[in-house]
Amino acid sequence: MAGNRFNVKKKTIWIALSPSIAFFVFIVVIPLVLSIYFSFYNWSGGPNMKFVGLENYKELLMDGDFWGSFRNNLYIIVLCVIGQIGIPLVLCGLFISRTLKFKEFHRTVIFIPVVLSAVVIGFLWSMIYSKDMGILNLILRSLSMEGLIRNWLNDPDIVLRSVSAPLIWQYIGVYLVIFMSAIQGIPQSVLEVAELDGAVGFKKLRYVVFPLISNTIKVAIMLCISGNMKVFDHIYIMTGGGPGKSSMVMAQYAYTNSFEMFKLGYGSTISIGILVLSMTLIMLSRKLGGAKN
Amino acid sequence: MMIFSLTCVFPIIWMFYSSLKTQKEFSLNIISLPQNPNLNNFVEAIRIGKMQNYFLNSVFTTIVSVSIIVILGFITGYFLSRFTFKGRNILYILFLSGMLIPVHGLLIPLFIQFKTLHLLDQRLTLILPYVALGLPLAIFLFESFIKSIPVELEEAAFIDGCTLQKMLFSILLPMCRPVLSTIIIMSFLHWWNEFPFALVLIKSDKYKTLPLGLANFSGAYSTNYTQLLAGLVIATLPVIIVYFIFRKRIIQGMTAGAVKG
Repeated sequence: MAGNRFNVKKKTIWIALSPSIAFFVFIVVIPLVLSIYFSFYNWSGGPNMKFVGLENYKELLMDGDFWGSFRNNLYIIVLCVIGQIGIPLVLCGLFISRTLKFKEFHRTVIFIPVVLSAVVIGFLWSMIYSKDMGILNLILRSLSMEGLIRNWLNDPDIVLRSVSAPLIWQYIGVYLVIFMSAIQGIPQSVLEVAELDGAVGFKKLRYVVFPLISNTIKVAIMLCISGNMKVFDHIYIMTGGGPGKSSMVMAQYAYTNSFEMFKLGYGSTISIGILVLSMTLIMLSRKLGGAKN
Repeated sequence: MMIFSLTCVFPIIWMFYSSLKTQKEFSLNIISLPQNPNLNNFVEAIRIGKMQNYFLNSVFTTIVSVSIIVILGFITGYFLSRFTFKGRNILYILFLSGMLIPVHGLLIPLFIQFKTLHLLDQRLTLILPYVALGLPLAIFLFESFIKSIPVELEEAAFIDGCTLQKMLFSILLPMCRPVLSTIIIMSFLHWWNEFPFALVLIKSDKYKTLPLGLANFSGAYSTNYTQLLAGLVIATLPVIIVYFIFRKRIIQGMTAGAVKG
């Protein structure tokens, strides 16, 4: 045992580790086991628990609303990958050009939304989107583009796009900073040679910078996918999954089932479904990305 | 670029100055600056919305959680990095999995468990999940940092007659300052803003944290935009202040945590 100058006994190690293990087992491991157990029951929180075997799972597989919310998750993920990865990449191009002034200021400002609470963001954007009192419609009106005025959060056709905008807005900063630190890892000489060879502006970005940071981009896409699988707070505040079920996502669906319809057994089944689907998607994206970590 | 950055931050600036307007002023013109800035909305938010109550709950929950996360994370990180023992790798993987598991899958089972054990809706309720879910990142940051500190240092301390506890807390912990501050700041931001667990595990007004209190506030006073804005500002101000003080470290910590996790 390296460093064991204090004659630390095995018992001491385990005693020292036990609080952390206890917390972790109590909050993560036991609930996971319990949720598997409860997923075999019909239960609404009262004393009546009915064993139904695999019925809940059968119901889950046939549950159009659940798969609809999964589809919404996927839709949001696609929009967010485009927005959260694409916009920062374009911004990177501006950041590495020499003409941009006040880089530090831009970075600081773009990063601010990242530290805000999702609840605050949700409310703020509800006010931006509000039909009569919203900033967005006000701006459209003052630009005399009345044709574009929408009831942003109440129109089933566009609500998914509306709720994705704040998500993208909030996290642009994270990805910008990730990409910038990757770009700083590129030797200056490489960029200079590229410039001498005539790769300037977006050409430099497209053919020199992007390939060099492609691994970082892959990691960022994975982060983006796993991050948006669990989107809940924003949607809970802005729409609660509505109108109807048009902006329902999986976490919201599990919440609604368990705490508004009190189907705790089925809620547990949905939780397992979420875990399985998220894990699969994350693994799949890692495989496709070919990343080793 | 300037326009882009300003568009990015405008909603937040708008939130701040609009919270100083009266309701009437707000409905006349949403975007205009306040004519006579006043703090009435804040007074009302505190009087009607009991914001100070939520604020104190958030402060309490966050401080207790972060302290426990730091202490346990440090001890666990130390033993995992310095000793090889049976079960060490399994433990390591167990904690690692805590960073990968989508926490929303835990909400409902955790609610059932807490309900059965009568742990719902108490002052310490939220601290349990916050600590458990905050631990993995702290453990890994401590573990990898302690690995980079030479063992000889501990040996020297031992020869000088230092006990294990004393060595840990008066020699090693101060040496971990860079990673320590990252963990404190990141955990603070994360648990100050946390919403879904609070939503599921807390029911009574007495123990609600700010995000939950806000969600509630809007339900009861949905038309009073300026008061809601004042509430949002109360929840946001501490975070913004912390952000501007520790900007560099936060940006660093976010990317490090993100790339690792």
